[in-house]
Amino acid sequence: MDQTDVHLLMELERGLLFVPAPFEELGKKLDLTGDEVIERIRHLKETGIIRKFRARIDQRKIGITANALVAWKQTGNCNDDIGKLLALYPFVTHCYKRRPIPGRWEYTHYTVHHGYDRNQVLEEISKVAEQIKTQDYLVLFSTREFKRVPNVRIGENGGGS
Amino acid sequence: MNTPTLFIPDQIDLAILNALQNDLPLVTRPWNVIADRLGITETEILCRMKMLEGAGIIRGISPVLESRHLGLHAATLVAFHVPEVRIDEIALVISSYPEVSHNFLRDHYYSLWFTIAARDEEGVQRVLDEILQRTGIPATDALDLPTVKKIKIDVRFSFVPAQFMEITNGPD
Repeated sequence: MDQTDVHLLMELERGLLFVPAPFEELGKKLDLTGDEVIERIRHLKETGIIRKFRARIDQRKIGITANALVAWKQTGNCNDDIGKLLALYPFVTHCYKRRPIPGRWEYTHYTVHHGYDRNQVLEEISKVAEQIKTQDYLVLFSTREFKRVPNVRIGENGGGS
Repeated sequence: MNTPTLFIPDQIDLAILNALQNDLPLVTRPWNVIADRLGITETEILCRMKMLEGAGIIRGISPVLESRHLGLHAATLVAFHVPEVRIDEIALVISSYPEVSHNFLRDHYYSLWFTIAARDEEGVQRVLDEILQRTGIPATDALDLPTVKKIKIDVRFSFVPAQFMEITNGPD
């Protein structure tokens, strides 16, 4: 990654313009052609720096207001990694394994679920619980959002707010 | 305070939102490619995208960056038990840190949930210690749950018109 790539990522973080040729438009700021911009983005993807290029959407504005973080415990003797199972569900947007606090907080896996209302999310979660054969989980619905910006960013807020 | 104008997306808007959550085609005219797939013109998709952006539904179209490649090697999720009257004040302190990307209030005894990412574990610890010290939250009222493994991150919403809403049944 050279200095031009860093500048390019900073510009991209602000979001592509909604004009017919957005890469060409962006290239003007960096003294690159549209094709050069595309070539650099492709390279950043190949090297794994860019994971994906997509729209960031405020789902709440469109009615998806329920958001739950679910904490799961690995139960039973089987060595099945519940993380792998949880990640398979298309509606699970995040799945993380975290270090528990023995005696205080024994949950090891965390998933994030979104839905139009709490009932929909709860129904989804109880189906998952049934399928992965655990009843040891905790549903944490969000009630307020104080901060939500991309977790990896070049500029201050990464184009977020 | 402004009352937000209610913008109700139609079927085409929802199809655009679904399409824009896929990886963007890296071609000279990407919007035109997406418009083609949806059977609309480039002019129409751009016009609708601007309306969706104006309504605050599209926050921007940008790359998702991989943390490890950018020097962020450690992260944690922290939960605080916070007395109700102090929630706003404490949330403000937490959100002021650039290392914090998410900070939510949740329905639980541990009410404030936030993430910290930094170069290494010490960096994460330093931010957490400072927040604990500044807010006066005792360590016994905090849960520090470091990331052991990121198994999946795929933020994607499937937008469906209300009348077709249904619950997905397990993995594909």
